[in-house]
Amino acid sequence: MIWRIIFLALMVPLFGKDIYFTRSGTISFFSSTPIEDIKAINEQTTCVLDIETGDVSFRIPIRGFIFKNGLMQEHFNENYLESDRYPNASFTGSIEGWKDITLSEKLQPVPLKGTMNIHGISKDISESGNILMKGNRVIGSATFKITVADYEIEIPKILRDNIAKVVDVTVDISLKKK
Amino acid sequence: MNRFLFVFTGLIISLTAQDDMLELIDDGTINPVPVQATFKATRIVNSQSIELTRPKTLEFMILHRFGSMNNGFYDLFGMDEAAIRFDLKYGINDRISLGAGRSSLNKTYDIFTKLKLLKQTSGGSSFPFSLALFSKMEISTIDQDLSMSDQLTFDIQVLTARKFNPSISVQVMPTFIHRNLVQTANESHDLLSFGIGGRVKVTRRVSINTDTFFPLGERNESFKQSWGLGCDIETGGHVFQLMITNVQGSFESNYIENATGTFDELNLFLGFNITRVFSL
Repeated sequence: MIWRIIFLALMVPLFGKDIYFTRSGTISFFSSTPIEDIKAINEQTTCVLDIETGDVSFRIPIRGFIFKNGLMQEHFNENYLESDRYPNASFTGSIEGWKDITLSEKLQPVPLKGTMNIHGISKDISESGNILMKGNRVIGSATFKITVADYEIEIPKILRDNIAKVVDVTVDISLKKK
Repeated sequence: MNRFLFVFTGLIISLTAQDDMLELIDDGTINPVPVQATFKATRIVNSQSIELTRPKTLEFMILHRFGSMNNGFYDLFGMDEAAIRFDLKYGINDRISLGAGRSSLNKTYDIFTKLKLLKQTSGGSSFPFSLALFSKMEISTIDQDLSMSDQLTFDIQVLTARKFNPSISVQVMPTFIHRNLVQTANESHDLLSFGIGGRVKVTRRVSINTDTFFPLGERNESFKQSWGLGCDIETGGHVFQLMITNVQGSFESNYIENATGTFDELNLFLGFNITRVFSL
């Protein structure tokens, strides 16, 4: 009997969640105004998808956003996102109706619902993304808009014409099985 | 017994299942990241800061010091006079910047370089401070009769800075200055001093800065220890630095060794630096 218990206990990690993940997902944002366009890319996004439940988590290190202009990158960290205090943005949520979704090589739209946390402020959001399975990888993508003011990111008056009030966010991830 | 086994296994499973899925794939490594923005500008007040001109950018800086404030309203606290310096710096990469400048005081031209040797990092295996080497050659052209070599002065500084938290940064800077020509025979050609500077951020875009240089070794009687007190105001692509200081020159051999001002009769100088950055 004791061996059975030990055997079962050892099995537990294998029973653990069936997850797909990446540590190098791409998230970029684009701010466009008549005066200037600003773009930054982050290739250090961590994402985990529970293939059984459709739960999904993102962690985005703010310092990982790379700008073409180093001064902008510094201001982004120092003045806007305050990455010293809020080093990561995150999204925790799930793909709705996961039970009815069968992953295939065909791109299919999926609704996402959950909590976005940026700059220490949490907001419930629902957006739509796309998902497909290619080989042994789950590939996901999404584009949506973020209103800067929703996350209490202050833009000084003098730069209000340079930075868009709503920025476009693009997510591209390729998950492999853990 | 079977029921017991079932409950027991269920307990183990629930104990090992984690709430945060991200923890499932954490391997415990945190990549160290370089600490940014120890200071807002390449100067603290008078002195050089640890910051370099960013890669592939050209930085134009105007350093303007008014005349002595001791005439009061007669010349609006020195506003009628000015000593101006402008310099142009280029960041080759994140470790090397080169520059050249001209100061109206003594009609001094100079070329200089700042090399970042060590970078403070945070997270993971962090490194506690940044270190840069600043070196400069100055040519004072006010006395045309002097030979070229007599017009030269050399400055070398070791800038060591630490950003303690988002608002407080401190820098120490041992400094060596060599003058090819000195005024009197008992003055030394080589001068050592020890500078200290720092800043405290009061808002996200404004900081209060100060710096001073303690002389090491003998100086003549007229020597005064230089100091500066200022504030940085950041507005997008500009940094404005407003200051009050006891020295009018804004090049190294002058602001370290030739301070003239005292609090008596308000013999001090108001001034400002403006930085404009161009991305190339």
